[in-house]
Amino acid sequence: MQLLNKFLKMITFPDLLKGLKITTKYVSKKKITEKYPEEKRSYPYRYRGRIHVTIDTCISCRLCEKACPEGCLKVFPPPREIMKTDKRPAQFYFSQEHCLHCGMCVDSCPTGSIHHSHEFEITVFNTKELLFDKEKLPYDMLKKQYKWNLVENVPTKVEVKKKEEV
Amino acid sequence: MMSYVYDLMKTPFVLALIKIVILLVVAFTVIAYITLVERRLLGFFQSRLGPNRVGPLGLIQPIADGVKLFIKEDTVPIHSNSLLFRIAPIFTFFPSLVGFGVLTFALPWITPASKMHLFALADVDLGVLLVLSLSSLGIFGLMLGGYASGSKYPYFGGLRACSQMLSYEVPLTLSIITVVMMANSFRLSDIVTAQQTHRLYFFIPLIISFVIYLICMIAETNRTPFDLPEGESEIIGFHTEYSGMRFGFYYVGEYTNVVFLSMLAPALFLGGYDIPFVNDIALWQVYPQLISILGFCSYAIKSVLFAYFYIWVRATFPRYRYDQLLKIGWLVLLPISLVNLFIVAGIKLFLLK
Repeated sequence: MQLLNKFLKMITFPDLLKGLKITTKYVSKKKITEKYPEEKRSYPYRYRGRIHVTIDTCISCRLCEKACPEGCLKVFPPPREIMKTDKRPAQFYFSQEHCLHCGMCVDSCPTGSIHHSHEFEITVFNTKELLFDKEKLPYDMLKKQYKWNLVENVPTKVEVKKKEEV
Repeated sequence: MMSYVYDLMKTPFVLALIKIVILLVVAFTVIAYITLVERRLLGFFQSRLGPNRVGPLGLIQPIADGVKLFIKEDTVPIHSNSLLFRIAPIFTFFPSLVGFGVLTFALPWITPASKMHLFALADVDLGVLLVLSLSSLGIFGLMLGGYASGSKYPYFGGLRACSQMLSYEVPLTLSIITVVMMANSFRLSDIVTAQQTHRLYFFIPLIISFVIYLICMIAETNRTPFDLPEGESEIIGFHTEYSGMRFGFYYVGEYTNVVFLSMLAPALFLGGYDIPFVNDIALWQVYPQLISILGFCSYAIKSVLFAYFYIWVRATFPRYRYDQLLKIGWLVLLPISLVNLFIVAGIKLFLLK
């Protein structure tokens, strides 16, 4: 009986058939590959993408500027008279070129105006586009795009100058 | 003018020419697309998507590959034997392309105009022998390619390829001989007719030679468990010195062989263009055209199964070592196929009178 079993095993190649059976399972299984440009996967909550700043809640305390190890943040507080009523910065620079995505500024911000986004496609053709000022920074979370010149509440440079003149 | 063309169409010579052109076009498209199918299926086996970027579902990929190979620089080494170096790639791919002519694809659909078989180009008397001799001609391509490269490494690669293909051709031939003995004929259409009249496909009584054929057909075409001659990225094979389209010709030759052997296998073992569970010949006398088209479809499906088997095996098994390869060839397959041959011959002589 054992001999017969051995003979049967020799003829029917059970190991090879087992391997073939395992590989067939994978044909109909779900594929791991992501079709990246067409389908984007969801990223974890704490994913460190490009930094987003909500200028409206910023109080111009400059803590982020001091915390940043690369010095890629620059905050210009408004003049003292305006500061009494409106603490939003007169100008705000953020250089993506040097940003390490370390998250120090996010930790240091007392009002939570700076936060990481899930945006990671930050490649550009011109390095000048990597420098963000106050007008470029605000980010519409619903439309998922920057409000380039749609800032109504935030005073622009010209308006600040006008106020100073007044 | 039109009637003149119609008359010309009826002559057997022109009809044969038309059939050759159609066969070549179909064969080339199948060969081009089996590369794509293989790469995509291999992707599926490894739970990824294969190439799907060029065109819808990656359908233009073979054309892109071909264009890339044609544009690449075509180098001929200084020390090479330049004539042999140029001829060798064609040697691998031409013989198996000739082999397509011998196959019969369906039951005869005889046109009223000229009494010619529409689904067979040249149904030769000794079709099986012709196929075998053509497949052994294919060895020359690898051997000459290795020899003519003018370098030691391709030379050894060519020798390795040659000895592998020679040693696996013996069991392949012996397993086919059993089929020939059962069918009493070397003609491929007769072999299919024998399976139709007996209502029994030969892979049931000749299961051992069927398995041997499956193993040897993979070894003959240098595919993955036995792909020592090429060894896509690891082993230096016979085509190390080749580049551009000459290199591409070796691959086209390999895929031609794959397609050809997977089209030969159903004719020998799976009843060819016979539709399973149907009495073909009786029905054919009533609806000849319908049955011949359906038979063609069943033949296509059967050969697709074999092509799938090639890819399946490639996705599953690792490569054999060289000594293991030769051991399997000479110490396992050859004795088994010889004993099988004698058993089948004895059964044929004494039991099936």
